[in-house]
Amino acid sequence: MTTGFATAFNEITLVLFTTLAPSGAAAYAIMGAAMLWARGDERKRVGRALLIPFLVTLVGLVASATHLGNPDNALYVFSRVGRSPLSNEVFAAVLFLSASGLHWLYQFAEHARLRVLNALMGIAILASFAFVVSVALAYSSRTVVTWDTPFVPVALCLNALIGGPVLAIAGLRFARWGPLEGKAGWALLALSLAALVANTGVYVAQGANVLSLRNYLVSAEQLVPTYGAMVVAFCALAAAGLAVDMAGLLRGRGVSKASSAAASALVLAGIFVMRFAFYMMHMTYGISL
Amino acid sequence: MTQYGFHFDGKRCTGCKTCVLACKDNKDLSAEVSFRNVYEYGGGTWTQVDGLWSTDTFTYYVSVACNHCDSPLCLANCSQGAISKDVDTGIVTVDPEKCNGCGSCVAACPYGAPKVNEETKKGMKCDLCADRVAQGEQPICVEACPLRALDFGEVSELREKYGEVAEIAPLPSADETKPNIVITEPVNAKPVGDETGSVLNEREIA
Repeated sequence: MTTGFATAFNEITLVLFTTLAPSGAAAYAIMGAAMLWARGDERKRVGRALLIPFLVTLVGLVASATHLGNPDNALYVFSRVGRSPLSNEVFAAVLFLSASGLHWLYQFAEHARLRVLNALMGIAILASFAFVVSVALAYSSRTVVTWDTPFVPVALCLNALIGGPVLAIAGLRFARWGPLEGKAGWALLALSLAALVANTGVYVAQGANVLSLRNYLVSAEQLVPTYGAMVVAFCALAAAGLAVDMAGLLRGRGVSKASSAAASALVLAGIFVMRFAFYMMHMTYGISL
Repeated sequence: MTQYGFHFDGKRCTGCKTCVLACKDNKDLSAEVSFRNVYEYGGGTWTQVDGLWSTDTFTYYVSVACNHCDSPLCLANCSQGAISKDVDTGIVTVDPEKCNGCGSCVAACPYGAPKVNEETKKGMKCDLCADRVAQGEQPICVEACPLRALDFGEVSELREKYGEVAEIAPLPSADETKPNIVITEPVNAKPVGDETGSVLNEREIA
């Protein structure tokens, strides 16, 4: 029986990219906002820890570039900005990584100007939103019936809202950001939990609407026979990640570095499972898979 | 502007796949890649009433290559601007100098027309044998068909001659991409979306 496993496995670098980059960008925006409110040494520490979400996003983007057969032609991608969703995605990624990269470097300047730093951060945060939305919309193609649904972009944005706060908790923990042990930590976990509940709902609705679709070669259900189990795995892994962070806060000693990193890994693993399912699901309405 | 296209005569095609092989030979394609495919579509059942068997089984063939659509989704989705539609001929081609082999065209086309060459890692597809057409010849698949089931020409002339049909099962609806194909329907042709049949030669499709 034809399943979509091979399709998804061939696109494993894109699975990785769409798992890491949106959560990385969301975590960056959260940590960036925390930095703008912080003062003195704390601001410096958070500013430096921004490297964590920056690198997570960068690793994702580099992974996505490896699926190109001819990366040397990659610059032509800018010729279609505004017309091809994929071009928009790459453009937003470059904008986000340039602004965040510049900010990260400039903060080490001996006489860094606060206004310039804040402006760069403002641009980076806006670009991170644009980037997440552009990744969410990058796969909209009218002929790919299993992807051409509102579930796809909504699920990707919710992915970022689950993974972003948890990754931000890890980054802020490494920066020893004070408010994390109080309300801010709970607020981030609540945001992530709410997004997880909503995202699970979206995946269930997607399953109910999309799995029954078929063309003359295959049905979506054949492509992703393990869809139900994958949603359960997603939910369990992400919930486990959130529980790890919560346990730390409940004990009143705050989240440890190790548990915040483990929580991020668990949540991202959960998102990875559903991104894999997404690529397994690729099917046009025609006579191609 | 001229828009070239194919005509496929389902009443003549016997599913021999000479068109597929002539194209493979001319374009030097590997076993895994075909710019043209022949789909065998069939279905139906046998029923027994009062000891007498009757049947509504059917089978027919549809030979399809790139349809050089008016709204090519491969072009719309290409992030590189590597796919273009020639203003003089309507032929849709991939520019290897711009292609990065990302495969968005492959993912978007409902006819399975574009492919990524595993060796060069670049997109490739039927170019309507543009070099032959420029010399006044027919595309190689049209010339090779022993049943004369394929024809080629300006699509408005083909439509005048053979009618307006551009979709039958198992092809997708023509609404989305507006393919430049004209079909003479085979006997027992089923409409798009028909659920009584299936593609019977899936393993022959490349």
